[in-house]
Amino acid sequence: MNEWIFFLLLFLTPVVSSVPIALAYKSKEWTERLPYLSVFGIFVSVLMSLYIFFTMEGQYSWPWLGPELGINFVFMCDYLSRYMGVVTAVIAFFIAIYGLDYMKGDYRPSWYWFCFNLFTASMLLVVYSDNLFLLFVGWEGLGAASWGLIGHWFRDDDDIAYVGKAGRKVGPLELSWPPSSGGWRAISTIRFGDVPMFFAIAAIWVLAGNLNISEINWESLFMGIGAAGTIILMLCFLMGLFTKSAQVPFSEWLMTAMTGPTTVSALLHSATMVAAGAFVFLKVTWYIEPWNLHNVPGLELVYTIVLFVGLLSGLYGALCGSGMLERKVLLAASTMSSIGLMFAAGAASFWFHHEIAGMNLALLVGFWYMATHAFAKASLFLVAGHLIHATHSRFLCGGLEFGKRIKPAFIATIIATTFLIGMPPLTAYWVKSGMDEVMEHLYLHEPHIVLPIILLILTSLTYSAIMARFLSLNFIKGEKPEHEHLEGGGLMKLGYSMMVSVLFILLFLIFINEETAGFVHAGYMSMSFVVGVGALIAYLVALYVPRISIFSRVPGTFFNDRMYLPYLNDYITPKIGFFISYMVQEFGNRGIDAFFNTKVIPGLFGAISKGIRKIQIGYLNVYVKIVLGFVMLFLIIASIGGIGL
Amino acid sequence: MNMLILLLLPLIAAFVAPLLKPKAATYLSSIVFLLPFLAIIGCLFNGCPSKVHLMTFSPPIGEFYLHFDMISHAFGLTICIVSAMIALYALPYMEHRFKEMELNVESEFRKYIFLYDLYAASMLWLVYSGNFVLLYVFLELTLITAFLLIYTYGYGNRKWVGILYFLWCAAAGVLTLAGIVILAFGNNTLALDVLLAGGKVSMIAWAFIFFGMIIELPVLGPHIWLPWAHAEAPTPVSALLSPLTVGLAGYVLLRTALIDYSFIETYRMPILVYALFSSIYGGFSVFKQTDFKRLLAYSTVSQMGYVLVALCLGPFGFVGLVIQYMSHAFGKSILFSSAGGIIAVHHGLRDITKMGGLHDSIPQISNAAVLGFLNLGGMLTIGMLGEFFILRGAVETFLKPGSPAFVTWGGGLALILTMIFMFILSVWYGFYTVRKVFYGKPKDTKRLEISSYLYMPLYIIAIVSVLLLFPPLSTALIQGLNAIPGLGLAGGVLSP
Repeated sequence: MNEWIFFLLLFLTPVVSSVPIALAYKSKEWTERLPYLSVFGIFVSVLMSLYIFFTMEGQYSWPWLGPELGINFVFMCDYLSRYMGVVTAVIAFFIAIYGLDYMKGDYRPSWYWFCFNLFTASMLLVVYSDNLFLLFVGWEGLGAASWGLIGHWFRDDDDIAYVGKAGRKVGPLELSWPPSSGGWRAISTIRFGDVPMFFAIAAIWVLAGNLNISEINWESLFMGIGAAGTIILMLCFLMGLFTKSAQVPFSEWLMTAMTGPTTVSALLHSATMVAAGAFVFLKVTWYIEPWNLHNVPGLELVYTIVLFVGLLSGLYGALCGSGMLERKVLLAASTMSSIGLMFAAGAASFWFHHEIAGMNLALLVGFWYMATHAFAKASLFLVAGHLIHATHSRFLCGGLEFGKRIKPAFIATIIATTFLIGMPPLTAYWVKSGMDEVMEHLYLHEPHIVLPIILLILTSLTYSAIMARFLSLNFIKGEKPEHEHLEGGGLMKLGYSMMVSVLFILLFLIFINEETAGFVHAGYMSMSFVVGVGALIAYLVALYVPRISIFSRVPGTFFNDRMYLPYLNDYITPKIGFFISYMVQEFGNRGIDAFFNTKVIPGLFGAISKGIRKIQIGYLNVYVKIVLGFVMLFLIIASIGGIGL
Repeated sequence: MNMLILLLLPLIAAFVAPLLKPKAATYLSSIVFLLPFLAIIGCLFNGCPSKVHLMTFSPPIGEFYLHFDMISHAFGLTICIVSAMIALYALPYMEHRFKEMELNVESEFRKYIFLYDLYAASMLWLVYSGNFVLLYVFLELTLITAFLLIYTYGYGNRKWVGILYFLWCAAAGVLTLAGIVILAFGNNTLALDVLLAGGKVSMIAWAFIFFGMIIELPVLGPHIWLPWAHAEAPTPVSALLSPLTVGLAGYVLLRTALIDYSFIETYRMPILVYALFSSIYGGFSVFKQTDFKRLLAYSTVSQMGYVLVALCLGPFGFVGLVIQYMSHAFGKSILFSSAGGIIAVHHGLRDITKMGGLHDSIPQISNAAVLGFLNLGGMLTIGMLGEFFILRGAVETFLKPGSPAFVTWGGGLALILTMIFMFILSVWYGFYTVRKVFYGKPKDTKRLEISSYLYMPLYIIAIVSVLLLFPPLSTALIQGLNAIPGLGLAGGVLSP
C-alpha cells in the first residue's frame, strides 16, 4: 500500500516546514521570510486532505508497537473524518494566510509558527486516527500547542492581550487575566480531563482487546463491566472531551484563552480544537451505535448526562455572551454555546434513530453544525482580529461611520452572523431545523422530556441576539473608536473573505447531498420555521437595541463575569490546593526534616554520645557502681521472670 | 565481547581523561558514553549475545557476568545518552563553578572529570551486572563518587549535605546488602540468570532489599535526604543523581521482583497506597518551594512514586516502570540543567520568587525546560507510553475480571481517581513552575548570549525522548521488553 505517503505528507509537512523558522529564531531577516514556508506546509496538508476526501475510503493501518499490541497507526477515512479533515486543513490554511499579515512584526514569530503548525498536524491526527492511542498523541499535541499559543505574548506587558478590565476586583478576586495566566489555566484544565480519558483508553485496551474505534465491540465491552463500569469508564472518557471542549464547569479556560493572538482564537478556540471534543464524541458514538444498545445498563445515564451538559453549556454560553463587552470573549462564549449544542445533538442519537443514507440524522446534525459553525465563527474571529488591529481596542466599539470605512469586515460579519444563527433560508437554518426535529423527538417519543427542546429554543434565541449584538456594537451602534488605523491588512481581508465564502458552498452542499436531505425536509416543518423566524426577530431586535441599559446593570455584569464561575477556577480550587501544599511543606517536610536531619535523631545521637563519654572519666568507683547496677538489674529481672537462683 | 569493550571504555576514560585539558577531557567523556549508546541502539534492532562471562566465584556467589536483556538496554541507553550530554553541558558550568569557588580551573577539572566518569560508568555497569555482588559493588561506587562530588563542589553547607547523603544511602546499601546475603544463602548463587530461572527470594531478604531501596528511591519519609542532596550538588551531578541514580533503586527492585514477585503480591495494597500517597505528597510539596533545584528535587520524589506504583502492577507495570525511568531521566536531566543554566547565566540565581519572565533573556533554556516538563507529564514524549502502561497495569491488576487483585469498578473507584490525580499533578506543577520562572513580566528584556553547551545537549536529550515514542525505536524497545521471558509478558500476555 502506498497510501502511507499521503498520510505522511498530511501530518509531517506542517511540522517539518516550520522547523526552519524555529531554528532561525535569532535572525530577524529569516523569521520575516520563513512564515511563507510554514504556510506552504499547511497548503500541502490541504491538498492531501482533498486527495483523501475524493479518493480514499475505509481503514488504513501500519504497525507501530506491533500488531498484537494494538497500538498502531490506524487511520479511518469515513464520512466524518473525510469531511472534518478538509474543514480543518482549509480553515488552518486560510487563517495562516491571514496570520502572515496579523503576526507581522511580532516578537516571537518562531514560537508562533512552530506551535501553529504543530497544532494543525495534531488536529489532523485527531481527525483521522482510528486508533485511540494515536488519537491521544494528537490530543496531547493539541493541548501543548494550545498552551503555547495562548501564552504566546508571555511578557504580559500589553493590555491588548489581556482578558477582563485591568484592576477590576470583585470580592477578593481580580477579574483580569494576562496571557501567561491564560496559558496556565488552559493546560491545567485540559490536563484535568486528559488523564481520566487516558485511563479510559487504557481500560478499553485491556477489556476490549483493541484500540481501533471502528473495531471495538462496544456492546460486549459494556456488558462485561456492568453498569458501574460503563458509567465510570465513559465518564472518564468524557472528562477529556468536556474539558477540551470547554463545557460547564470547565469553560473558564476558553474565556481566558482569548489572551492569545486572534488567529489562535480563530483556529484553536472556535473552529477546531475546542470542537475536537465534540468531534471525538460524534466519532465514538458513530461506532458505539447507542441507539442499538438500549439493553446496556448505565449507557442511557451517560448519554443523558452528555445531553444536559451540552444543553446547559449552550444556554450558559449564550447568556454570558449577552453581557460581554470584549469582542473576542463574546465570541468565545458563543463558541462554547455552539459546541454544547453539538454535544447535545450527538447525545440525542441514543433515543433518535432515524437513518439517512445509512447514517444517524442526529449525528449528521451535530457534525454539520460543527462545520457551519467552524467557518462562520472563524470568520467572525478574524474580523474581530482585524478590528482590534484597526481600533487598538479589544472592547466592542465602532459606529456606522467606522463600519462604512471597513466594508469587507462589515459585510463578512453580516454574512457570518446571519448564516450562523439559523434564520431561514441560510445555511445554519437547515442544520438547526434538523436539531429542532431531534430535540422535539425527545419530547414526543422516548424519553418524553420537554426540557431539551425548551433549552434549545432559548439558546437559539439568545444566541441570535448576541450575534446581532456583535454586529451592532462593532459596526452600527457602537461608540466611536479612539484610534483608527485602516491601512493595509490586505491578507487579513483576503483571509476572512475566503472563509466566509465557504458558507455559500456549504449551503449548496446541503441541497445537493443525499444525506443532508433530512435537514431540508426538517426545514419545511412549521416548528422549525417558527424557531427560525424567532431567531430572526431576536436578531433584528438585538441589532436595533444592542444594549438594554437597565438590563446591563445587574444581570449584565453577572453575565459578563461569567456568573462568577471564575471563583471556582481561580479561588476555590487554588485555595484548597495551596492549603494542602502549605500543610505538606510546613508540617510534613519540616517535621520530617526536623525528626531525621536537624533535631530528633541528631539530638538523640548527641545525647547518647554525651552519656557514654560521661561514664568514661577514669574513676574506679563509677565503674563499680555501674557493674553493681547491672547486677541488681539482672537480679530484679531474674526474680520477676521466676528463674530460681 | 564487543559490548564488553564498549562498556569498558567509560571506565578507562575515567583514568585517561584527567590527563587531558578540560575541553578534550569533556569530549572524550562524551564520546565514550555515546559509543555504547549507539551500540545499544544497534542491540535494540539486531539483538546481542545475552551474556558476557567475566569470572566465576565459588558458591554462594556464583558467576560474574554482564547481563544483556532489554531491561538492561533500556536503562543502559538512558544512562549513556544522559551522561554523554551532561558531560558536554558540564564544561562551561563547572568552569563557572570553579571560578566561583576561586579554584584553579584546570587542576580541579582533572579531579572532577575523574569522579564524573567513574560515577556515570559505575551506573552503567550496575545495570549490566549479572550478579548481585557486582551490582552492589557498583551501587556503592556510585554512592562514593557522588558523595565526593557533592562534598567538594556542592553549594551551601555542602559538607553537611554530603555526609547526610552518604549516611542515608550507606544505610540503604547496608540493608540491601543484608538482603543480598540472605538471598545468597537461600539460593546458593547470586548470578542473575540462575536466579531468574527459578530462584526464590525469601520474605526477609525481600524486606531488606525493599526497605533499603525505598530509602534510595526515595519515597515519603526517607525522602528527606534528597532535596538537600539534589539542591546543593553541583548541577551536572544533580543532573545525574536525580534522573539516573535514584531510579536505579527501581531497577534493583524490578530485578528482584522478576525473580520472585511474592513479596509485592502479598503486600500489594499497602505498598501501592503508600506509593500513591508519597507521589501526591511530593507533587504538592513542589508548589511551595522557592529554590528551583529543590523544587525539582521534590518533583523527583513525586516521579519516583510512579516507579513504586508501577512495581505493584504486574507485567504491564514493569514495562511502565522501565519507560517511566527513561522518561523521568530525560526530563529531569533537562530540567536540572536548565536550572543550572539559570545559575550560570544569572549569577547564581536560584530563588524562584526573584525569577519571572526569564524567557526573554534565555529563550533556549526556557524552551528546553518546557520539553523537560512535557517529559515528566508524559506529553508527546516517551513518557506517554510509560503512563499508558502503568494505567494499563492498574486495570489489569484491579479491574479485569479474574485478575490477581480484582476489585469491582465501584470498589476500585478511589484507587482509580487517586492514580489519575497523581498523573494530573505532574503537569500542574510543571506548567505552574514554567509560568512562574519563565513567563510573566520580564525584569530584564536583554537577550543574553549564552554558551551553546548549556542548551544544545538538552535538546538532543529531548529529541531522543520524542524519537523513542515513535517507530522504529519504540517498536524495537517494546517488542524487546515483550520478549523477555522473566517479565511474564511472552506467551501472549501483552497481546489481547
